[in-house]
Amino acid sequence: MANKAKAKRRSWRSSRRPLWQSALLYAIVVFWCFIVLFPFYWLGTTSLKRPIDVSRGPKYIPYRDFQPIPDHWDEMFGSQRESTERHFRNSLISAIGSTILSVIIGAMAGYGLSRFRYFWGRLGWDNDNIAFWIISQRFLPPAIFIVPFLLLYNFFGLVDTYPGLILAYTMFNIPFAVWIMRDFFDGLPVDLEESARVDGATRWQAFMRIVLPLSAPGLVAVAIFSFIFAWNEYLFALMLTNYQAITMPVLIAGQNNTRGIEWWFISALTLMAVVPVIIMGLLLERFITRGLTAGAVKG
Amino acid sequence: MPRDLNHPPVDTGGPRGVDRVVNEDRIMKRVFLSPAVVILLALSIFPLLWSLGISFTDMQRGGSTIARQAAAEGIESGVGFLGLGFELTGRNYERLLGDTRLHSTVRNTMIYVFFGVCIQYSIGLGLATVLNQPFRGRNIVRVIFLMPMMMTPVAAAYTGRMFFDSNPLRSPLAHFFRELSKALQLENNISIPWFTDLGWAPVAILIIDAWQWIPFMTLILLAGMQAIPEDIYEAARVDGANVAQIFARITLPILLPISLTVILIRGLEIFKIIDVIVVTTGGGPGSATESLTLYIFEQALSNGNYGYASAIAYVLLVLVIIFATLFLATGRRLGGLRTD
Repeated sequence: MANKAKAKRRSWRSSRRPLWQSALLYAIVVFWCFIVLFPFYWLGTTSLKRPIDVSRGPKYIPYRDFQPIPDHWDEMFGSQRESTERHFRNSLISAIGSTILSVIIGAMAGYGLSRFRYFWGRLGWDNDNIAFWIISQRFLPPAIFIVPFLLLYNFFGLVDTYPGLILAYTMFNIPFAVWIMRDFFDGLPVDLEESARVDGATRWQAFMRIVLPLSAPGLVAVAIFSFIFAWNEYLFALMLTNYQAITMPVLIAGQNNTRGIEWWFISALTLMAVVPVIIMGLLLERFITRGLTAGAVKG
Repeated sequence: MPRDLNHPPVDTGGPRGVDRVVNEDRIMKRVFLSPAVVILLALSIFPLLWSLGISFTDMQRGGSTIARQAAAEGIESGVGFLGLGFELTGRNYERLLGDTRLHSTVRNTMIYVFFGVCIQYSIGLGLATVLNQPFRGRNIVRVIFLMPMMMTPVAAAYTGRMFFDSNPLRSPLAHFFRELSKALQLENNISIPWFTDLGWAPVAILIIDAWQWIPFMTLILLAGMQAIPEDIYEAARVDGANVAQIFARITLPILLPISLTVILIRGLEIFKIIDVIVVTTGGGPGSATESLTLYIFEQALSNGNYGYASAIAYVLLVLVIIFATLFLATGRRLGGLRTD
């Protein structure tokens, strides 16, 4: 840890650049940090303001410009508790459910495409074609699924249920999951599996006991992406839920119509939906980089 | 089921162990791939073809209920084609041509994609260049830069609405503009009617989308820059190239394939834009900010015109395919876009 820090400091000091370049660099960095962070700060302070401070503002600094009050957070966990909890739970269940399914199915297909040679004779497709077909599904416009999904979900009684949302999100997440996992398995040596199989392990045992434990970083990357996608998804949640299974994004978007615009309450609700995901994302940031650059950057 | 030509079902005559492994693999390779393929066939390819079928009908919400009632009451012919409650028709596609609201949504979507990609790529490239320099606190800064990407788009849109409110008593941005005009002693205060003006409303939406997705560009371009070996730069510096020359002649060309990839990915994503628009303008004023996805959603859910909504969805699909094909073709011509 100390060594690493020292090396970093050395690299900073060793790069001799003109003063104006350093100044410009820091100016840009500070400016962009402000652009990124100020909206979050504004959400946070707005959630603590009295309505009058929101409409007769703008008030920037708590205790100097305005007196922060916890009322809106109290409301969210008090009189609105049932609603907040239900929507939060819905988001959590559909996101976790689809994450688990996407990770399992994506890892299996990614492993298959990395280790076996497929040839779909009728289409003349080999592994690369199949992988391209799978990733191309990710880029189909979701609008094209609106009508068929409405009809299908009505027919099977999946509207406003967890399995319905989980299934839809899994479908959207699988392409990316397969893509990342295939890339990951390609970089994993086959020797370990082969020697295990010589010792009598089945393919499945080799996959479960040897390959999967080694691919934890890839699995984590897939899990984060699937989770964030499902957590933030709006269109299908709006379309496929009515009451019981409504998720946080739909709840937030609906504040517009049901209560008039109460910025202070919306801010609290928004932070409630956003902060857990951002904390998780920041803690696991290196996996995100790894997953996003899979296939895009070699090495 | 896919046929397997690599492992034809012949007796290898080898030792038992090899036989076992070959036989097992022949089954297992299907076991591994099938779940993903089955889900995609059932939930992606099937709906895709089905909605093509629906686009050639006048299917409406509730049509099948009427048909079922007719059947229950014993009316022979039922309603519509095969008693399903709708008729086969090509009229949806005729209607596309004369639908001015559709034309403006197509134009808006193209504007979002084109300008969105341009803004996000150029700023993303700039920030990636900055983050590629060694400086103190770089790791923290990189993590901070990532934050918007993880925000729920609906939440980002609400936050944008707070900032693009044109009342300086509510919005810090409008307040800033007012103070700025005071400081510059301008005759008229700068006041931008973000969401109510035909020209500014799409700009506000572009800014919100850019704020959220510039990190994505930055992250990937930065990874691309870090993969460039240092000795190339050294050699250029030895030859006396300056910073601008190094950037234009070395960094940019090496980043070309990855640039094309991120632009393609972001472009395809912007084609899907709906949540930011729903929360900020709802498509207005008029239909100045309405995207194709939002229009399709309204046709399907608010109006219940399943047939027509499917036809418009196919317009969107064709646009997306044209965009992606052009892009992939250009990428191949310029060399080095990985499509595998």
